[in-house]
Amino acid sequence: MNMQENNISENNFEQCIKCTVCTVYCPVVPVNPSYPGPKQAGPDGERLRLKRGDFYDEALKYCLNCKRCEVACPSGVKIGDIIQLARIKHSKKRPALRDMMLANTDIVGTMASTFAPIVNTTLALKPVKWAMDSVLKIDSHRTFPKYSSKTFESWFRKNAQASQDQFPRHISFFHGCYINYNYPQLGMDMVKVFNALGCGVHLLDKEKCCGVALVSNGLISQARKQAQFNIDNIRHSVIDNKRPVVGASSTCIFTMRDEYPHLLGIDNADVRSSIDLATRFIFRLIDNGEVKIKFRDDYHSRIAYHTPCHMEKLGWSFYSIDLLRRIPGVDLVVLDSQCCGIAGTYGFKKENYPTSQGIGASLFKQIEDAKPDFVATDCETCKWQIEMSTPVEVKHPISILAEAIDYEATKKINS
Amino acid sequence: MKFDTIIIGGGLAGLTCGIALQRQGVKCAIVSAGHSALHFSSGSFDLLNTLPDGTPVESPLKAMESLHATHPYAKIGSGRIKALADEAKSLLCSCGVAVKGDAETPHLRFTPMGTTKPTWLSFEEIATLDKPGVSLGEKLLIVNFAGFLDFNTAFIAKELEAAGSKCSVTSVSIPEINRLRINPTEMRATNIAKTLDNPQVLTSLITILNSRAAGHDAIVLPHVFGFASDAALHRLRSEVKATIHLIPTMPPSVPGIRAQRTLRHAFEQLGGVYMLGDTVVRAEIENHSVKRIFTENHSDIALTASHYVLASGHFFSKGLVATPQGVYEPVFGCDVIFDKDRNNWYNESMLNCQEYISFGVETNSALLTLEGGTPITNLYAIGSVLGGCNAVSEGCGAGVALLTALAVAHTIKG
Amino acid sequence: MKLNRKENEFDVIIVGGGATGAGTARDCALRGLKVLLIERHDFAAGATGRNHGLLHSGARYAVTDGESATECIKENMILRRIASHCVEENDGLFISLPEDDINYQATFVEACRKAGINAEIIDPAEARIMEPSVNPSIIGAVKVPDGSVDPFRLTIANIVDAKQHGATVLTYHELVEFIKEGNKVVGVKAINHRDKSVVSFYAPLTINAGGIWGHLIAEKVGVKVNMFPAKGSLLIFGHRVNNVVLNRCRKPANADILVPGDTICLIGTTSSRVGFDEIDDIKVTADEVDLLLREGEKLAPALAYTRILRAYAGVRPLVAADNDASGRSISRGIVLLDHATRDGVEGFATITGGKLMTYRLMAEWATDLACRKLGVNACCVTAEQPLPGSRPAEPESNTKSKTFDLQLDKNRSSVHRHGDMASKISSANEMDNSLVCECEDVTVGEVDFALKELDVNNLVDLRRRTRVGMGTCQGELCACRAAGLLAEAHKCTAKAKNDLAKFLNERWKGAYPVAWGEALREAEYTQWVYGAICGMENNKE
Repeated sequence: MNMQENNISENNFEQCIKCTVCTVYCPVVPVNPSYPGPKQAGPDGERLRLKRGDFYDEALKYCLNCKRCEVACPSGVKIGDIIQLARIKHSKKRPALRDMMLANTDIVGTMASTFAPIVNTTLALKPVKWAMDSVLKIDSHRTFPKYSSKTFESWFRKNAQASQDQFPRHISFFHGCYINYNYPQLGMDMVKVFNALGCGVHLLDKEKCCGVALVSNGLISQARKQAQFNIDNIRHSVIDNKRPVVGASSTCIFTMRDEYPHLLGIDNADVRSSIDLATRFIFRLIDNGEVKIKFRDDYHSRIAYHTPCHMEKLGWSFYSIDLLRRIPGVDLVVLDSQCCGIAGTYGFKKENYPTSQGIGASLFKQIEDAKPDFVATDCETCKWQIEMSTPVEVKHPISILAEAIDYEATKKINS
Repeated sequence: MKFDTIIIGGGLAGLTCGIALQRQGVKCAIVSAGHSALHFSSGSFDLLNTLPDGTPVESPLKAMESLHATHPYAKIGSGRIKALADEAKSLLCSCGVAVKGDAETPHLRFTPMGTTKPTWLSFEEIATLDKPGVSLGEKLLIVNFAGFLDFNTAFIAKELEAAGSKCSVTSVSIPEINRLRINPTEMRATNIAKTLDNPQVLTSLITILNSRAAGHDAIVLPHVFGFASDAALHRLRSEVKATIHLIPTMPPSVPGIRAQRTLRHAFEQLGGVYMLGDTVVRAEIENHSVKRIFTENHSDIALTASHYVLASGHFFSKGLVATPQGVYEPVFGCDVIFDKDRNNWYNESMLNCQEYISFGVETNSALLTLEGGTPITNLYAIGSVLGGCNAVSEGCGAGVALLTALAVAHTIKG
Repeated sequence: MKLNRKENEFDVIIVGGGATGAGTARDCALRGLKVLLIERHDFAAGATGRNHGLLHSGARYAVTDGESATECIKENMILRRIASHCVEENDGLFISLPEDDINYQATFVEACRKAGINAEIIDPAEARIMEPSVNPSIIGAVKVPDGSVDPFRLTIANIVDAKQHGATVLTYHELVEFIKEGNKVVGVKAINHRDKSVVSFYAPLTINAGGIWGHLIAEKVGVKVNMFPAKGSLLIFGHRVNNVVLNRCRKPANADILVPGDTICLIGTTSSRVGFDEIDDIKVTADEVDLLLREGEKLAPALAYTRILRAYAGVRPLVAADNDASGRSISRGIVLLDHATRDGVEGFATITGGKLMTYRLMAEWATDLACRKLGVNACCVTAEQPLPGSRPAEPESNTKSKTFDLQLDKNRSSVHRHGDMASKISSANEMDNSLVCECEDVTVGEVDFALKELDVNNLVDLRRRTRVGMGTCQGELCACRAAGLLAEAHKCTAKAKNDLAKFLNERWKGAYPVAWGEALREAEYTQWVYGAICGMENNKE
């Protein structure tokens, strides 16, 4: 018999059996009825778009790309990818100046860091916010993350680089834009924790923004160039130098592992398994018995862990939660996994502000009800959103480990 | 990653097994490839409505004695069914899934068509009848939301009138709910329920219901209440000045999804790890014993446990895969009962008994799966992945899920 | 329905509501005749709705049957003009695979030229760009003006126009017997299947347009037409794999045409003789499915991993020459039989043979005969006058404000389906815009329009008018919603519920021959929803 083995389509959208589960978990649908919803925008729409491309609907731009539909789908349909690929293929809307600014996190970051005090003050000024709101359509409720006057890279080269060769293990650290320009402290915490675990931390030869914001703002050819650039550098680290690449941002890591091949057509198969998230990398070392970690006795905190969308999709919040639970003085509450509403640059756009806050509302309530000392999460944009929308401070699990670790004792065990 | 027990599949069977084990201090992980069939719940859990030969069942516990040895209930042993059924009900209730009914005397549930069917347990808030021949009330007001197509008032009114009630049908129009219709597809039960979780919107509805309730014994509504919590249900009951009867809608099922969420929450509160959206891609079996499994998300990091439970569902949930040549179980490749001749899989009439629905994983009497006829000593199968019963035609899907889950939990705990 | 003597008298009675019957009704009505059409089921329920939906260029017949080829290309060009909303101008490729004789290509192109078909040899590389799904190993390709035609839309457009010109059209009316005066047919008795009443209709001429069933109709008046039922099976795939019709450049054979049509594409056909006892319940066998897939993959390898929605079969009305009882000298051409001259039975004619492509020409021949017999002097205008739906009237959707991006989308689906008739579809509010069928983009407004204007009696009829239930889920989501709307519109809840079961069974009949993999998952879900949840599992037919 030469019949189809499975009647299973390589056209992934055909695995959809119209069960509607995705529509239950889309965070956008209940707050923005102009969005067609994941089923209609994804597999149903794809079928119509194959009939004729002009069935494409510009309202697909309201998709957050949170991938919660994919996590929920019992049929394994890559609904989010279908929607993003349709945008890439069919959208005729040119990105506005605002979108280009929001998308180019590293170029804007380089300029902003150079003039950090001025930029930070200016961005906070009311007239400037008003101008951004009315001219650029960046919502005036938004506060831009502060730019650091000194980039992480410059700190690293001056203060850490020289001592990294002494360790028995080595990683390349993909720091991303946020650590480099806005929050070098997290990068310093990474170095501290990894060094304590006997891992030397190195920079890639060069890195560019992972491109997640470029993809969501429709700047695809630029995203492809940056993706290829990053993968070339990662390949040099992984294949030539035998150093896995580790990052702290779940979004950057997710983008480089999964969005590069699925949305941008960049082949990363040879290095994908060596692109890892910090907490997962540490978990593996501990789980395999390769390293041990010792915590201070005097660390006490009530922490609420928020699972960012891309962590939910990766299925990796397990690792961050496991590490936090290992800290003896931590009282950990795991919040019900839901989207915070920011979705990178999405929530900064004036037209998306009500949607963005509507999506996050129940999360903010969960956080306030949990009464934590602070929230832990692996994504920087979730951090902005939660800090803008609740009075609670947000920390990265790596920063928490850096605070709670008994540095000297741990370093001694692992050296 | 080390656990005591790993359960593959996070639906009714997997969660029940996981909760029962966690309560006994057994550390469990559930790997669930997407959401489960609880999302399409009928609002009730059936135990056994029809024997495989088509005979209607009046007393399920008694009828079970006549089931063939290959039926999952027969493997559990008809003597244990009553105790396990009571245990299942109390487990559900203690987790916050309030259910009514008992195994000895079935009650009647309403279908979205307005007809009734015998069942074992129903979510406490839905409309049920104790026995055939009674009605929901003399004068009923059937209410729908304007433009909600998954609740068919004409069909329901016809059936309720046939049962002796006088029905009038009305539709309510509330701006916040009408807003959903801007989107041509998202006027779904769950989205209406999410909107009604907002106390102000619910107040508007309650005001309308109270203004129209006069002259009616009871109000019949689609079950679109209480997505995030049961707060809306309580308010509806206490603030509407008429008896409320909720009838399940076409899928997605609001009470089913709340049950899924509540059970998952209970499992996680007990310390269980629930991995949603992950698929087991590979298992290592040595000497008829599962050594470890690998999933898509965790790739090189294996998951290991002393016991494994296969609760991966039927074809729909991809627990079984059909090809033109046959049927296989995709994770462990364990033995499956199916008819070799595909021509026998189907009945030409869609609503008649379909043989393919009775295909499933073969087990020994302890519900251990088999590999070439030999038991895999630490891999159990529970729920709809099991062969030997037809969940649709026999009306036994939920019963098999709950009871096999508890039976295996007892076996694992020893 | 009670008709008095006056109301039940017509100039012409047409038996059969396929494309030919509908076309004949239209042509007769346009020429001023008082027409009645009776159909025992629904329009396009027989072979009309059970074929490729290929707008033949005629190239397929060019080498073997020049006359048919010439008819095809002429009608092809006419349909593009008069039925633009039923036609997709996709073009077609005749491809040669390594196993095919490339020399056939020259014979083929020459034959096309003779028939007046614009056939152009193109480079295989160009063909691969033109249709990326084509088998990459092709060694030759010829481009021809093939296309797709939707037989349901085409038939209903003819019916709508016939009715607008005074024709009476009765579906679910089955001919019971002919009313004869001596050797002359003067009318028919028909049973109304909806209320089981038997009604008589009178006309000086009755035209048998019953397709393969025409054989049995003629027998009722003692006339032998000598037809042979030929079954052809096809497979429908879940989405469009190709946008250009793909054919094999060789002598016509099994499963060598892949046609894109609306949201799907389909491969066919097989060909086998069946008995008259089988024609009302044709089934597709596993061997046929196998053959269709095996050959289909050669045209477009992607079919090997594309989800199959359904398998179905139609019965071609093949007519043997009058002097050939064995049926070996089969004609594919149009057969018009005046039984007065042929068999001495006055007042009765049969129009048969032919194909969907030539339905209009068949109607023209039949109407010419009717006019001659009735002494009416009127010319055929069906080749010039566009059908309803294909008229230049501006569809309302184009002039309407674009409140929501989404609104545009749906309107386009309905405009695709109904052309200018879509202006009658209400989209006044969001309620009308709500989708009944999510796969095929069918709104409440469109369903209401079909229920009101397009002679819909049940859910299967509704499917033929709107594509409800023709998408991926095969009715799982939409059947119940549509049944609810039908119950409301017809004020008949019990019938609507019964209809729902029939509709699900009709969908299942096409689905189970290919029910493995995703299709079986879909079926199980549907059976769970309607059986276990809705409690319809006892609602046996």
